[in-house]
Amino acid sequence: MTADATPRPGGDPPIPSGSIYDLGYRGYDGPRLGRRHAVGALFTHTLLSCYGIGRGGRAKIIPFVLAGIAVLPAVIAVGLVALARQAGQAGEFITDASPIRYETYFEIVGQIVALFCAAQAPELLGRDQRYSVLSLYFSRALERTDYAIAKLGGFVVALLALVLAPQIILVLGLTLSSPDLAEGLGENLPKVPPILAQAVTLSAVFGSLSLAIAAFTPRRAYATAGIIASFIIPPVVAEIAREVTSRDISRWFVLASPPDVIGATNAFFFDIRPDSSVIAAARHPGELYLAVAAIAVAACTGILIRRYQRITA
Amino acid sequence: MERPAPAARRIPYPSGVPLIALRDLTKRYNGSVTALDGLTVDIEPGIVGLVGSNGAGKSTLLKILLGLLDATSGEATVMDLDVRTRGTEIRQFVGYMPEHDALPPDATATDLVAHLARMSGLPTTAARERTAEVLRHVGLYEERYRAIGGYSTGMKQRVKLAQALVHDPRLLLLDEPTNGLDPSGRDEMLELVRRTGAEFGIAVVVASHLLGEIERVCDHLVAIEGGRLLRAAPLDTFTERTGLVGIEVEEGAERLAAALVGRGVEARLDGRAVVVDVRDEGFYDLARDALVELELALVRIEPRRRHLEDLFRDEEPGEVPAA
Repeated sequence: MTADATPRPGGDPPIPSGSIYDLGYRGYDGPRLGRRHAVGALFTHTLLSCYGIGRGGRAKIIPFVLAGIAVLPAVIAVGLVALARQAGQAGEFITDASPIRYETYFEIVGQIVALFCAAQAPELLGRDQRYSVLSLYFSRALERTDYAIAKLGGFVVALLALVLAPQIILVLGLTLSSPDLAEGLGENLPKVPPILAQAVTLSAVFGSLSLAIAAFTPRRAYATAGIIASFIIPPVVAEIAREVTSRDISRWFVLASPPDVIGATNAFFFDIRPDSSVIAAARHPGELYLAVAAIAVAACTGILIRRYQRITA
Repeated sequence: MERPAPAARRIPYPSGVPLIALRDLTKRYNGSVTALDGLTVDIEPGIVGLVGSNGAGKSTLLKILLGLLDATSGEATVMDLDVRTRGTEIRQFVGYMPEHDALPPDATATDLVAHLARMSGLPTTAARERTAEVLRHVGLYEERYRAIGGYSTGMKQRVKLAQALVHDPRLLLLDEPTNGLDPSGRDEMLELVRRTGAEFGIAVVVASHLLGEIERVCDHLVAIEGGRLLRAAPLDTFTERTGLVGIEVEEGAERLAAALVGRGVEARLDGRAVVVDVRDEGFYDLARDALVELELALVRIEPRRRHLEDLFRDEEPGEVPAA
């Protein structure tokens, strides 16, 4: 290759747009990492773009505002506890009375996760459909199913981050503000397994459900409305069913309501009484809710994959 | 300054096997609309023009080769790999430029092309380097850091070509690459296609409904109509019979046509112009004499953009054997 064929990045002359100049072309002999790498790259890309990273500043506003709202109560709780502990004996009452606890936190962030889903899931799938970008993906090293799985994985992990960040703040804050570190660890570490279990359940159920809905329309507004409806309408139906039908019938409606199922698994993992009257009235064993959550995730994932098998690209 | 063409690059398939082999390939949509109808043809490396009118099955064929669509019946192999079962491998070495707009307006060209390079299996650093190189190659400079939404059609077409080239494919499938471009944009795109195929050793299949356009860059033509093969042959065997010239006169085109037909020339009327199938150089003298004789005011004589209808005017589809 001659010297004039080697372009210098910094030295591009101001070239009027619309002209093609001969600056040479070089082949690529480096590694081609194939399908697995492509899926990994799409997963990472999805995870980051859920928070607007790698996109414009405006794309960061919604996710970061929601994440801020999710974290805020944890910060306040840790601050309160730290202050109360300085007050000595009297402070223990304040600590115990705080409404912001591990087992109540998922209730607090649940709404925010739902909003996050409604805002980000349509963007994640609809954009590629709206602008026919799928044909550029599917003509590459990855399969249609890979695309669906990578998007789902990235989104669920993004939700996990949203759900776990405040819990991590709580665990660290409460442990470190404890007068005795060993005692602090002893009190807080046992809470970690239920926190993780509930975080995974919540993220998987909400994430797969939102994407399964968002995959069916390139229109952002429809997808957002659909996701919000799927979070709001079933609990209302379950509540109405409890009012108007017998308990034998109404107790099954609870299982079709994602927020109630999530509330029930929370109670199950933390071994507490569910504070929702609907769940309490249904009197299902916790394992049943867990099974329903697993089936829901499997079904939504299946729907998502099937949708991408058939979508025109 | 002309650079010597690099030696044809290794294509990872056995010699003696066609680059693309189609056997009785048929595609029906919803069981009724037939897009491809028993298409059998071999395509060898080079720049191959896939010509056919709109709806002839060109896009369908390209999508089947990529595994974006499944054929209803028949076989297709690319680089000796079956498109049904080895799609992922094929696509690592194939670049595809779709016909329609396929770019998200909020992404920058750099971000989009680098992302798609990784989707082709390139490591992140290599993806960035290749992106910079390939965007420069297609003629996008400072604009590449701006959102695609603000691009002209010409710039968008370049981004589409760049994303098809970014992983340095062995085979490039271009679907109507000059769509929506103005004449100078078309010329530049065609030149880019020609160089990609001729100088870089990348095999190119370029689909177009404008024969006059792709015959400028191709060395082979595959013509399809109604999903069936009309003809597959080196370009020169096509051009012999397509020397169409339009003679435009101020008025009296009918008289000119009649006079030319009277002199044994195949001529027909097309608005104010007479379209002639030029078969030998002596025609121009003949036309000049006829114009003088009839005292007609000549506006212009120009080669006609030939459409497929002209090319196959007197051929029965399907009867011409594939080369």
